[in-house]
Amino acid sequence: MVDYSEWIFFISAIFATYIWRFAGVIISHRIEANHPAFEWFTCLAYGIIASLVARTLIIPSGLMAEIPLWQRLFPMLFAFIGFYMFGKRLLVGIVFGETAFILLLFIG
Amino acid sequence: MKDLDTNFQAVLTGIRNAIGVPALLLFSAMTGFGSLAQEQGLSLYISMLSTVLIWGMPGQVVHVELYGLGAPLIAVVLGVAGANARFMPMTISMMPVFAESTHNRKWNYLFSHFISINTWAEMLNRGHEIRAERRVSYFLGFSATCMFAGLVGVYQGYVLFESMPDIVSLCLIFLVPIYFGLIMSNTLHPPYLLSFIFGCLLGAPMHLLTPEWGLVLSGTIAGTMAFIIRNWLKDFMKSKEVNG
Repeated sequence: MVDYSEWIFFISAIFATYIWRFAGVIISHRIEANHPAFEWFTCLAYGIIASLVARTLIIPSGLMAEIPLWQRLFPMLFAFIGFYMFGKRLLVGIVFGETAFILLLFIG
Repeated sequence: MKDLDTNFQAVLTGIRNAIGVPALLLFSAMTGFGSLAQEQGLSLYISMLSTVLIWGMPGQVVHVELYGLGAPLIAVVLGVAGANARFMPMTISMMPVFAESTHNRKWNYLFSHFISINTWAEMLNRGHEIRAERRVSYFLGFSATCMFAGLVGVYQGYVLFESMPDIVSLCLIFLVPIYFGLIMSNTLHPPYLLSFIFGCLLGAPMHLLTPEWGLVLSGTIAGTMAFIIRNWLKDFMKSKEVNG
């Protein structure tokens, strides 16, 4: 007999994600354009994504969990410095952050 | 952004703008996912389909981890739902970008599937620079490119991750928080910036409090606080102007 459980779990995970997008479209179609609610929902999205960034950085899993916290926070700070000091260019921020990260890996 | 006369041009521009940092980011993030899926014993087919059909990395990770642990179905559903709940506010906040477009609104149910943090931020920041009737094409070109890069990432992570040196893997994983941290902080609109800052502060402690719903909880508190503070400040300024 074929084991379907892998697919059942997978399809459930697809629905558990799509339902939010579906709800989002329905709700957005019911709100008038320029309603302040749109701004509130954008605030929520910013808040959730920021939480996600903080969580991946502060409480990582797998390989990254073996790197001490300060060796993750310090390069992040560096990335921000590079980004905001040199004309808000993503690539500059990334190079600053990754360089600091690699250097600390070798020193630390 | 230059005039996009045809939908085809808009798709091409979307593809071109996605090639580079956005595609690289999806590639790295999904490399991490691919290797995790391989470790947890998920088949390569499902791992790749997961990127196309779920298209939300935190939920994909929860699915793989809980499945690997042999958790019950209900736990997987709730875990994935909690990890990917951000798509509701993101979809709502992005839909006005398409509002003046001439397409049948029913298509939005399909288009919403392609929303990711990457494409959402792109459309919010640059959508208004594109003519209203070309935004959908631009969005689809941009999203499809990111998704393709993600697929290549999953494949390479699944097949090659073990033979990759740790330092390369670590740098790829570290790219994700750097990239999202930078693009999300880069807003001049005060309530969004405040939501970002509150979210950063609350994210980790709330995760410790409730791993399943920590993201939703801390994001909702952060966003709502920012929204209220901003409206309160606006009223305060107004009343000052009137009285002063």
